[in-house]
Amino acid sequence: MEGHSSDDASLVDRLRRDAPRAFEDLVIAYQHRVFGVALRMLGNRAEAEELAQEVFLRVHRAIGEFRGESKLSTWLYAITSRLCLNRLASSERRMARQGEETLTRLASREIGPAEEMERSELETALHRAIAELSEERRIVVVLRDLEGLSYEEIAAALEIELGTVRSRLHRARMDLREKLERFLP
Amino acid sequence: MTCHEAREQFSALVDDALGAGERAALDAHLATCADCRRELQRFRDTVSLLHAVGPIRAPAGFVDRVLETARPIPWPRRLVRGLFLPWPVKLPMEAAAVVLVAVGVALVYRGTPELQQAARLETPAPAIERAPESPGPPGPVLMSREHDAARESSGARRDQAELKEQARALAKTREAKDMTERPKASESQPAQTQTTDQTIAAGPAPAKTPERERPSSDVEMRQKMDRLAVEPPAPATAGKLAARSEAPRAQAPPQATASLAFAPSDVQGLLEVGDRDVALRQVAELISRLGATETRRVDGTSGPIVELTISRESYPELARELGRVGRWRTTREPAALPAQVRVMLQITS
Repeated sequence: MEGHSSDDASLVDRLRRDAPRAFEDLVIAYQHRVFGVALRMLGNRAEAEELAQEVFLRVHRAIGEFRGESKLSTWLYAITSRLCLNRLASSERRMARQGEETLTRLASREIGPAEEMERSELETALHRAIAELSEERRIVVVLRDLEGLSYEEIAAALEIELGTVRSRLHRARMDLREKLERFLP
Repeated sequence: MTCHEAREQFSALVDDALGAGERAALDAHLATCADCRRELQRFRDTVSLLHAVGPIRAPAGFVDRVLETARPIPWPRRLVRGLFLPWPVKLPMEAAAVVLVAVGVALVYRGTPELQQAARLETPAPAIERAPESPGPPGPVLMSREHDAARESSGARRDQAELKEQARALAKTREAKDMTERPKASESQPAQTQTTDQTIAAGPAPAKTPERERPSSDVEMRQKMDRLAVEPPAPATAGKLAARSEAPRAQAPPQATASLAFAPSDVQGLLEVGDRDVALRQVAELISRLGATETRRVDGTSGPIVELTISRESYPELARELGRVGRWRTTREPAALPAQVRVMLQITS
């Protein structure tokens, strides 16, 4: 996300003016990050795509409300995180999760069956360990260690205190450290 | 600083998020604690593993699908929406539509002599809608469903007791006529109506026969039930009940006079009990428990008569439970029951 500030400001300006291709540029620029967070949180590609679409549609409708006090990326992550957590908290979702495939089959890219066979045990263990974190710890780890947001950006996106970000991140990493013990040198 | 306090700072240390004081205290502890140094290294390795996780890519065609969903609505549709969706426009139009429908119904009513004739039969006096003006019954009257609809749409609400009174008056009137013209008719079974799907041929109200001439409770019950069939049901079901009578009986007078005819109950029966009041309460509880609806209740000389509606699925349980309340025997029970079964039972002792 770093280094995108000027690009983001220009993009926001174009979006507000409803300039041609502005929305398309936004989706192209952020599709992987939004989809990635959704997939890591929900663990289901179809559901993640549906949620990612919802994120962009909300941005499309509400770009006028974006005051520019935070980065565009932080705003997008905030919407994505909120929608993910809301969905995970819904009773329907909790019922559906029983028997749902685990996040261990998350693909870091579109791969074929043969390549999937060769995926390292480490990668599988990593995905599983992340998936097994509680939702509130998982979102912090995803935003910090996989998406690279700062503590302040995470606090803003999740609307929680900086100290809460710090403690949740620490607990999540300690959990992961135990789960990944055998892969550590 | 203890080891525990030191390790609580590892995450912030890795992210370089410690304040100067915190950092100095932690460094001091690490300088003297080999375990914590080793633990810190494993913590750093864990975070390094996380940072090595590859990015996820959105599926192919995702951008197109988002753009397709977010595509603005074409201007003709926006124009239509702009015209019709705003409430200030939409509400008056809906109100106008309601008025138009009401006017249409009134015009149909006024333009259909059959409806007016039927209405006249039901409204002999301004204050009372149904008592006939003359004892001589008019010719057969067809009550179309439009008539029912017109009655309902006009919001006419008839008082149940008043209607019962009118039905009795009508029966008495006809009885008097029958006595003079066809004396034997008073002993016959009241005529039931024959209907088609489109019209309801109004049958006469049953002749009122002295109770002493009806020693059998079955006969009395049938008489009561037939009288009930002439009375209007609850407003919610008025006009919706189609008469499903058997073939017209030979004794039926050729001139149909009554203005109302409703379907007889699907199931009729007698419930013989020791205490009527107790049984009535038990029946009421059953109705409530089984999700049935009590549509009418009349006090017969041999006991109260209750009419209810219950789903076909719940009817067997009702029959079982009635068998526990008292001795339940049906006098009428078709082989195939409708989805909503109308049950009329008389509680006798």
